[in-house]
This record gives sequence, C-alpha cells and structure tokens, in this order.
Amino acid sequence: MTWETVIGLEVHVQLSTKTKLFSGASTSFGSEPNTQVDLIDLGLPGVLPVANKEAFYKAIRFGLATNAEINQVSMFDRKNYFYPDLPKGYQITQMEKPIVGKGSIVINVDGSEKLINITRAHLEEDAGKSIHDLFDGETGIDLNRAGTPLLEIVSEPEISNAKEAVAYFKAIHQLVTFLDICDGNMSQGSMRCDVNVSVKKVDDAILGTRAEIKNINSFKFIERAIHFEVARQIKLLEKGESIVQETRLYDSVKNETRSMRSKEAANDYRYFPEPDLLPVVISDNELEEIKSTLPELPKQKEIRFVNEHNLEESEAKILASSKAMANLFEDASEKTKDSSLIAKWLVGDVSALLNKDNISIEESKLSSINFAKLIERISDNTISGKIAKSVLEEVWISGNDIDAIIEEKGLVQIQDESVLEDIAKKIIDANPDQVNAYKGGKDRLFGFFVGQVMKETQGKANPQGVNKILKKLLNS
Amino acid sequence: MDKETVTTISNLSRLAFDKENEEKITKDLENIIKFVDQLDSVDTSNIEPLTSPLEKTAKTRADEVTSKNRKEKFLKNAPNANEDYFLVPRVVE
Amino acid sequence: MSIQFKTIKELSSMLRSKEISNHELTKETFNLIESYKHLNAFITLNKERALIKASELDKNSSELSLSGIPIAQKDLFVTKDLRTTCGSNMLSNFIPPYSATVIENLEAAGCISIGKTNMDEFAMGSSNETSFYGNVLNPWGQNLVPGGSSGGSAAAVAAGIVSAATGTDTGGSIRQPASLCGITGIKPTYGRISRWGMVAFASSLDQAGPMARTAEDCAILMNEMCSHDPKDTTSLDEDVPDFTKGIDAPIKGLKIGIVKEFDLSKLDSNVVKVFEDSKKHYESLGVEFVEVSLPNINLSVPTYYVVAPAECSSNLSRFDGVRYGNRCDDPKDLEDLYIRSRSEGFGDEVKRRILIGSYVLSAGFYDAYYKKAQQVRRLIKNDFDNAFEKVDLIMSPTTRGAAFEAGSMSDPIEMYLEDLFTVPANLAGLPGISIPNGHVDNKPLGLQLIANSLQESLLFNVAHNFQMTTDWHLKTPSLEAK
Repeated sequence: MTWETVIGLEVHVQLSTKTKLFSGASTSFGSEPNTQVDLIDLGLPGVLPVANKEAFYKAIRFGLATNAEINQVSMFDRKNYFYPDLPKGYQITQMEKPIVGKGSIVINVDGSEKLINITRAHLEEDAGKSIHDLFDGETGIDLNRAGTPLLEIVSEPEISNAKEAVAYFKAIHQLVTFLDICDGNMSQGSMRCDVNVSVKKVDDAILGTRAEIKNINSFKFIERAIHFEVARQIKLLEKGESIVQETRLYDSVKNETRSMRSKEAANDYRYFPEPDLLPVVISDNELEEIKSTLPELPKQKEIRFVNEHNLEESEAKILASSKAMANLFEDASEKTKDSSLIAKWLVGDVSALLNKDNISIEESKLSSINFAKLIERISDNTISGKIAKSVLEEVWISGNDIDAIIEEKGLVQIQDESVLEDIAKKIIDANPDQVNAYKGGKDRLFGFFVGQVMKETQGKANPQGVNKILKKLLNS
Repeated sequence: MDKETVTTISNLSRLAFDKENEEKITKDLENIIKFVDQLDSVDTSNIEPLTSPLEKTAKTRADEVTSKNRKEKFLKNAPNANEDYFLVPRVVE
Repeated sequence: MSIQFKTIKELSSMLRSKEISNHELTKETFNLIESYKHLNAFITLNKERALIKASELDKNSSELSLSGIPIAQKDLFVTKDLRTTCGSNMLSNFIPPYSATVIENLEAAGCISIGKTNMDEFAMGSSNETSFYGNVLNPWGQNLVPGGSSGGSAAAVAAGIVSAATGTDTGGSIRQPASLCGITGIKPTYGRISRWGMVAFASSLDQAGPMARTAEDCAILMNEMCSHDPKDTTSLDEDVPDFTKGIDAPIKGLKIGIVKEFDLSKLDSNVVKVFEDSKKHYESLGVEFVEVSLPNINLSVPTYYVVAPAECSSNLSRFDGVRYGNRCDDPKDLEDLYIRSRSEGFGDEVKRRILIGSYVLSAGFYDAYYKKAQQVRRLIKNDFDNAFEKVDLIMSPTTRGAAFEAGSMSDPIEMYLEDLFTVPANLAGLPGISIPNGHVDNKPLGLQLIANSLQESLLFNVAHNFQMTTDWHLKTPSLEAK
C-alpha cells in the first residue's frame, strides 16, 4: 500500500511592532512577568481595544511580498474560549475579512523549486504565557505577551512531506526577516507553527482525517513531529483503524505526538464580528507608500549578487538566504572589493560553524563589523587563510575584536622575506636527505619544506612568500 | 432546546446549574428561543447584517508605547497571585 | 433650606449666590441619602472624597458648568479607587484602577460624584430586581419597581436626592426607569458618549446618558458627557454642540411621526389617554402629526434578544475568577474554578442571557439566529431612515404602562416586552428621550421621542417646549423619610 502525506501549515509570526495590537504596552521580550500589561491587556471591565496601524502595515508588507490580495477593508472577529492566559475569554482575530488574502511562496527542496499557495494571512492577538512548572500545584500567568500582534499565515494543504514543510517554514522565516516585520527569533517564540497532517491512499481523491500538531517552534521539531505523526497515522490505518480529528502536542523529549483531548472539550469558538472595532480601511495612498518601501527580497538579491559580484548562482543563493548573511556579505564587500573571497568564507567556514551549532547568524557572536575586518586582514595579508580560520573560531566563541585577537595571540603574518629566508635556510640545512631526494626529482617533497616552515612559524608565514623563497633556495 | 443542548451551552459558558434550576432554565430558554423564532418570518436574503449602528471605519493608533508598569496594582486586585504572577490551579497539558 | 427636588440650574444659582456652600450642598445630599436609605438607590457611597472636593470648591470657586453639583453615578461606570460592582456579586470587591471617560468628563466639569447607584446586574433587567444588592424602590409607591436597569439612578433623582444621575441604555435602561419614576432621561446617538470604562453589556447597543428632572438639565449634562475619545474608536468624531442652545426655540411646523405598527389598542386605555393628551398638547404648540410605517419595528424585541445576549455572552467571559472579581473557595482544578466562580458570581438573569448568547452564536445556529437578527436589524434601521425622510421625530409612549409591583412579572418574555418601545432606537443607534407626560393611578408615565442620528438638540428643544408648557416634570412623590 502506498500512502501519500498531505500537510498544511499555520505559521504564527510575531510582528515586530513596538506596542501591542490593541494597547500601548511594550512588546519587548524578556521583561519581568506582568510588567508590560495595560488595562486593555488585562481585560479589565470597561476597556476597549484600539488597533495599532503599524501591525496592518507589516501584514501588508508580507501580503505584497507573496503576491497576495490585500483586503483594504478588513475586520476583526471574536473567537470565544476560556483559558487562563486569554484575559478576555475571547481572542480578537480576523475570520471573515483578513487583511491578506490568497498569495503564494516558492520553496526550495534539494535544489528544486515548488510553489506553495497561501490561503490567507490574518492579524490576531497573542495570548499570555502559562508557567506550569514554577509553583507547587499552581500555574502562574504572565500577561506580558498577551496582545502581541501575530500574523497567522495559513497555507493550502499542498505540502507533501516533512522536508517540504521545513522548507516552507524556512521560506516564511526568510521572508519575514527580510521584510523586517518579525525578528525571526525562534527560541523566543517569535515564530511558531501548527501543522495539519493527514495521510491518504495515493489513488484516493478525498483527503484523510487530519490531526493538528500545535505550537512547534523549531525546524528540527517540525520535521520530527511530522515523521512521527505520519508513521502513527499509517500504522493505525493499516490496522484498519481510523484517525481521530484532534489537536496533538509534540513532545520533543519523547519525540512523539500525543492527544490534547483535555483542551478539545467540545470547543465551539462562536466567532462573531468584534463590535468594539470598526472595519479598518487602508487607503490607496497607504498601500502605494508601503509598496515603495518594500526591501529587496531574497530572489532579487540573489540575482543582483550574481550580476554585480560575479558570484556562482549556488553561492549567491546561500548568501541571499538570510538577511543577516546578506548583510555580512554586503558590509564586507564595501570594505574589500574581493567579493569571491568574502563569498568563499561565508559559504564555507561561516556556514559550517552555523550548521555545527545549529544557529542563525543573528544568534551567533559574529558581528558584521568583525567579519568585514577578518576579510580585510586576509586580503591585506596581515594573516594567512589558515590563521584566519582559527581567528574565526576564536571570534565565534568570544565575540572579541578581530584585531585584538590577532595582536594578543601574535598572529600577524610574517611577510619580511629576509626573516622567511633565514627560517627556510635553517630548514634546508637541517634536512639534507630530503633536499637530495627533492633535487633527485621527488617534486612532491616541496610540500614537506613548506610544512616545516609553517610549523616553525606556527602558521604565521605568508604562504606565497614561503613558496617563492623555497623555490629560489631549492632550485638554485 | 433540550437538556443536552443546555448542558452543552452551559459548558461552553462555564456555568453550572443544580437539577431544579436546570429544568427551569431549560424551559425559559425554550420559550425565549421560541419567541425569537419570529425572526424567521422576514425575508432577509441579500441583506447585509448590521453589526454596528455606526457605519464608519476605525480610527487606529500610532505604534507608540503609552502604558507603564502597573503590575503591583493589578496583582493586588487578583483573587490569587504571588509577587509576579496571577495564580490558578495547576493546568496539565 | 431644602435642596430636595432642585434642578441643576437651581442648585448652580444657589451656589453662585452663596445661598448655600458647596460643602453644605454635598453634606445635605448625603443626609437625603440617609433619609431615603430604604429606597436602596445606592450601592456604594463616596462620602469622604465628595466632601473633600466640595470643601476645595468652597476655597477655590470655579466657573465650571457643573461646579459643586452632586451627581449619582450608575455603578456600571468604573470609578478609580471606588468600588464598582455592576450590581453583581461577581464584582462585590472590585476596586477599579481607572475611571470611565464619562466620569472623568463630568468631574472635570466640577461635579461631585457622591456614590454609585444600584442597578440590574450588569444592566440586564427592566425592574432592578436582578441586582445582587437588592431591589430599588420606586419613590412613587410602595413596592413599585423603579424600572431598570438604571433604577437606582432614576429613584435617586425622582426622590429629589440628587438633581442628576448618569445612566446607561442598552435597550431602554435610561428611558424606561425615567418613565416609571417620572423624570427625564436621554439615550444619545450611539457613539456620542465614550464607552471607555462603562462595563460592556452589549457593545453595539450600549450608550451612556444623563437622567435629571428636566430636559434642560439633561442638555447641560450632555454638554460635558459627550466627547470624542481616542480610547473608544466607536465614539463619534463629531463636534459636540452646545445642547442648551436654542432649546426654547418654538417648534411650530415640526412634523412628528406616529408609528403605524405600534398597536396602542393593546395598552390600558388610561395609558393611551395620557399619550393622546400629549399629542394634543403638541398640536397646540403647532406640531403636525403624521402616521409613518416602520414595517419591521415589531421585530425589534426578538432581534434585540438575539444580538444583546450574543454580545453579552462574550463580554462577560472575562469574569473568570483569574485576574479580578469573584473566585470560588478551594477550586479543585481550573474548570472547577471557572464554573463555580461564574455560577456563584452571576445571578439568574445574567446566566440566562449568557446561555442564550452562547446558543445563538454556536455552530449550526449562527446563521439562523445571530446573522438573521443582524439582518433584521438592518431592515429596522432602514425603516427609520425611510421614516425620517418624512418626519422630524417619532413619538410613542416610553413604556406599555406605569410602574408595576416587584415580583409581579415572573415570565422573562413579559419582562423583555417592557422594552417594546425603547429597543428600536438602540438597534438603530438613534437618540431617544423620555419625558414625564402624565399619571395613571398616581404613577408617572413617560413620553418617548426619537430623532435621527445626532439630532439630540432637536429632542431637547421639543422636550423643553413640553416642559415649559406642562408641569408633569415638576410633580414629586410624597415621600416619607425613614
């Protein structure tokens, strides 16, 4: 039996506005609990919401970047349910008339592209946080996050496997950070997603019953949760059992999904138009203004990198993959014109370190100033490529200034030819057998001498200088 | 309107009734629903619902921080809180 | 000298001429409250702060329009650091950290908030019998209800304790008690007065308004209560006129509509006679009466009893025992906390409406009830729009009859029909005023005038003309101090 997986994602993007969607309280992350709470966020009797226009502008940027319909008249609805971190007993969201309508985004899986349609993207308020493990027998409620604007981006069920789901989530992450509408910080929960998974027989026309896996906030967990869930569903179906439509939770420790039936208890959200908020209208002028300030998007950047900097397409793709990466590239390019050297370092060593630690540039200690300096020191021959590698590793850990590291560890490249010649002579004198063998035709031994010089200088010798001097001395 | 419906909407509303009250409320609701069923008599096809008598558009606000920390005052009003959090019985997820 | 039954205008002139000091006036007001304590018109008093403010005004006299005037505030408006209960056990210990815009506006105009008036729980009721704090008595008779939900405010004014009080009106909650207590009350155009800090019952219907002895006093109050409030985006961004300006202009030639579909023959013949007398009186002032048809108006009450509960079921979800308000003892888990806190906190009528609201919004019923009602609501609004092309105002009795005895109306639907004449103005967002226009069995009745959007000045003008030429608004109940 061949099974086909059908996946749809609902991605929740925290918009990087200064204040909440309906109150003037700050949205900054990491403050003491309940200190960023307005009368409105607390849901006190008698309070009324006032919509933050900036949240609409940010949502529209997303819509424009995904070629979506923008609803210039959009409305809010109430979604009613009880939960302790939902202060009003309802969430203000957009059900009937979302700000962003149908759009699409291109994802990249193993080098090939696929277009995923986006059903809609709507504004809604985030809930607060429930802290379950801090107090004995009690759950603590922190409302700092309550009311933070979210853009919920709903995809069509056009994603076929875990890899595509991750690629889709990455594409959204890339886009929202490029657009500067979200800080993209996954560990702080700035992007979370719900994954709808179902399986069906390949020949079946209708979709299978789906399960919704709630609130996943890492690329890795999306992949694992889907793998687990697909396997679970297939196993059930093959046993002749049926899938229950339900909400499930992914447990990253046990690597499994499990039912959240408690939360399901006959939920009927009783949506209806929010009577406290009139329709929000975006004028043609506002729309034009937003269009004119849209930044360059990844694909455009990629093409420009190829054209302006003569990069390989594959390199350009990696460099344009995140805003932070592209910034490192462009900042360094302004200091030194050697674009291909910059690209080589970013695509090579920097990417390798990122992968190793599984973090993004923003989360690393490598600043764009420091990286530009590193490239400068390589191209002005202050340090060799080999030394640069260890300097990068040092920066990666400490975040210290490049020049300070070079100076402190005495890593400045030895360029003085007379110094290099003295060392080379010493090496030649100490290895008469190898000299004879080399002169007898064993060319490969040249590398041995280079290595010895490097060893003697702890890698600081300028490689071109060493080559030149050794050739001169050995071939004379 | 039957007992089962009343139970469902009571649960949705987080309200509970004792047996005696439940019967009375079921009857009341039944009558009220019967009363509002009069609306069926009007043809409303193609009529746009009127959700607010103000057929205007919203005023919005600039993205500027205007509120200050009032944690202590807020937590003081709470039936159960410690110095940082509102507290409820442990929620199991 | 007595301050009982005085109007704002009279009290202001007494204060200005130093016939009485601010402090004396406020103190005397508290004495009256004490004398008529049995009316149960107040839930919470603001004595200490009120007297301090009055003394301050004696030291630094002000030219503000309401300077030194004691006002009773309906307990649906939140008042900073002063208990606000909404007539509910749910909020029996609730001390708000902020004040409603209306309260701030009135206090900024110099008035002295003397206390919070009793009301039907969360403004749901037409007799004040749903208050957790007990019934309010109508000063006009033993065991008569004052109407509701602003029953405490109406009784306080009718008993002459205060010259003015604030009220709120979702389906008639200012006009009906004004009518039953023989005072004047107006529900302005939806959006005229900010709803910030007015605890929501049904957001798209709720509107605050003044209650006083005369239309002119109501106009003086309205001047201060109205404002465009950036905190309430449903408040109107319109200039607030001086509502007292032109209030005594003649009304000759005005066209007033009588609603064909209101079947007055079902009412008590004495009630009809009072209404007919008022018509004649207006005719004598040069008004022309025209019959207008509002074909859907008799669907107002069923429409209202879908829309209002729907909004209320959602608005009252915030009372969950987590952040403020009643929490049950020893909840065994979260669900137990929710269910017991709410079931103990709310009374029967509130629960009934929450359930109806949940029902009409629930999956499978939304279209048949909620959406349908909002569609009918549009038809009703259209009916008004059409009518106002032909007439300047629409007139009807405010209520089907005079005040009834407490406990005499046990069927919820009978009680809902109390709002028959008042509900349409809320559905359409229109201003409506009730003025005393006669008595039946020594009990007052009210006359309702409804105007087109933003035409409050016309309402005041027409009401004031009536009050310049009749004395129903001057009648006072014979009250015994207890």
